Amino acid sequence: MSRSRPWIVSLALLLAALLPASASPQTAADKAMTEDCTECHTCGVPTARQPCLKACPRTTMVHQASKHQLREAPGMMHLDQLADLYLPVEFNHKAHAGMAEMGLDCATCHHFSPPGVIPPCGECHEPNGSAADLSKPNLKGAYHRQCLACHREWSHDTKCIVCHAPSEQAKLATAPPDPTDIVGTVHPAIAVPAKRVFTTPYQAGPVVTFQHQEHVDLFGFQCTDCHREEGCANCHDITEARRPARTQEEVHAICNDCHGADACAKCHDTRERPGFTHNRTGFPLTGYHQQLDCWSCHPKGKRMKRIDSMCRSCHANWSPETFKHHVTGLVLDEVHAGLDCDACHPDHRYNASPVCDTCHDDGRTADKAPPGVHSKTKSSGASSSSGSAGGGTR
Amino acid sequence: MTLDRREILRLAGVGCAALAAGVRPADAELAPSPASADSWAVLMDTVACIGCRKCEWACNVENRLSDAPASTFDNLKVVDAPRRPEHDSFTVVNRFRSPADRDHSWTVKLQCMHCADPACASACLVGALAKDQTGPVTYDAWKCIGCRYCMVACPFQIPAYEYNKPVQPQVRKCTFCAPRLAEGRSPACVAICPNEALTFGRRQVVLDAAHTRIQASPGRYFPHVYGESEAGGTSWLYLAPVEFAYTGLPALDDEPIPHHTERIQHAIFKSFVPPLALYGVLGLVMHALRGDNGHQENTSG
Repeated sequence: MSRSRPWIVSLALLLAALLPASASPQTAADKAMTEDCTECHTCGVPTARQPCLKACPRTTMVHQASKHQLREAPGMMHLDQLADLYLPVEFNHKAHAGMAEMGLDCATCHHFSPPGVIPPCGECHEPNGSAADLSKPNLKGAYHRQCLACHREWSHDTKCIVCHAPSEQAKLATAPPDPTDIVGTVHPAIAVPAKRVFTTPYQAGPVVTFQHQEHVDLFGFQCTDCHREEGCANCHDITEARRPARTQEEVHAICNDCHGADACAKCHDTRERPGFTHNRTGFPLTGYHQQLDCWSCHPKGKRMKRIDSMCRSCHANWSPETFKHHVTGLVLDEVHAGLDCDACHPDHRYNASPVCDTCHDDGRTADKAPPGVHSKTKSSGASSSSGSAGGGTR
Repeated sequence: MTLDRREILRLAGVGCAALAAGVRPADAELAPSPASADSWAVLMDTVACIGCRKCEWACNVENRLSDAPASTFDNLKVVDAPRRPEHDSFTVVNRFRSPADRDHSWTVKLQCMHCADPACASACLVGALAKDQTGPVTYDAWKCIGCRYCMVACPFQIPAYEYNKPVQPQVRKCTFCAPRLAEGRSPACVAICPNEALTFGRRQVVLDAAHTRIQASPGRYFPHVYGESEAGGTSWLYLAPVEFAYTGLPALDDEPIPHHTERIQHAIFKSFVPPLALYGVLGLVMHALRGDNGHQENTSG
């Protein structure tokens, strides 16, 4: 008795461990599912082989699949099930998934996705629809309606060759260079407006100048960072009447991602504002600095942080060994090349004129008696040596 | 035997009464509509139609209508100017625009509607046109005498005449691809339609599908299925985004077109009574007059 007990206990433990394990793949999905099986299934005991699914039309959109990431999406897809008159369609799934991010996400097309599954179109839409069941389009109709719903809306172009290659010579679509954004993909280049000037009902400052180009170029925004919940027709085939009206909250929500803490006057003004230049900050950008993006100096974040204009705040590692002084236009002579920086630039104040009276008491200045040879190509030297170090003089 | 004036009038009165009684028979006595829920039908969804003209091309190939190359049908500009089916094009796609918003347009495929109770078949003197129980209105060129009454009778102006053929011209119109139907295949236009703007099936199933679409997207469709009851019902049914006045389809009441004429004609000739009565009266008159003449001849001779 005492010998058999551990055996029974271990068996019980094994069973206890096995049972949840065998059930676990379903439980996660089951939790998300509705209790009533008959909502989707026609038979009492659906199996994988015979799921006896009800036809789920678009109107009762089932989309419980967890949010999928763009990187999980398949790239190019070769749709050849129906090819007869035309060559198969090379469908850039990833590019379209990227565009869908601005709309309803995957559900824009995958209108029936039970928990954990994104079934392919052909699973419900049969290639040869039967005349007895007209509740859903056949595969050809489903594909074309899916594509044309958007394509005809914005381009008014229903020519077959937009998607179908008419002959063998036709080039296949290539994978997009940047699959994370719609610009640079198969979507033709989008003309980004330099600025938009809005007239708002805010009396103290009715004019808002939105520097679109700046936000893209300077701050590195991607289209989808701001353009969400967009349809093709928001840009294409545009008429003011069709553009959906947005509430004050909706308009501000886009900007408030970054500007939430700013005062109204940050954007609102009585007149149109010029674009941003770094001159406004009291630190005009010259030389190598002009080529940098904002985040090379400013800490990355949604709000631009003011930083100390002292060279040392970025160039902490400058020393006589690492700094090539000739980029300033002055090639130091042998004597001065060995000195510490702060021998001439006390407190590392490189903005100020260098001082000589640390060593020299004859009242000389760097202008009158330079500690080396002025190179004639000061400006070009400063900019061409961008790889090594920044200019100490500006 | 002699008839006096009173007797002639009495006989004439009986004849007229018989005529009058036959002029308006009950509707039930008219030929019953052969539109059955089981016959083939096609739903044309003008909202889904993209105006690609593939149906025109497929029809052209299937019926060997013209030698026009496939590229002819790539020209999508022609749908902007309304066209009618011709002897060498059994179906055409026309674009219609919203009067309020010129950018809002829809395309309507036009072909023989294959009426349940076709006016063309009713008008045909020789029975060259006939409604098949499975759906198509068929045409038999061997019976046709070229009177073109069918062209006058059709409310949709569908039958077209081969005026260009001096020898054996035919009346041409959509056949519903009857040979294909017999093989269990859908019509060529339906089979090629990329966007499934054409849905083929049994009439009742197609009608149900049409009403389901209207219910599912009320803003998308005008809540009426054209052809469900128009002219007594047609085999081709239409859904449109707007009222059907803007689709080029004629406004028709539910009365089958042949009823307008058959009510009178079939009544008059029903059981051959009116002609018999008429000729009876005429015969009596002649008989009476001949009697008078003979009497006069006898007296003179």
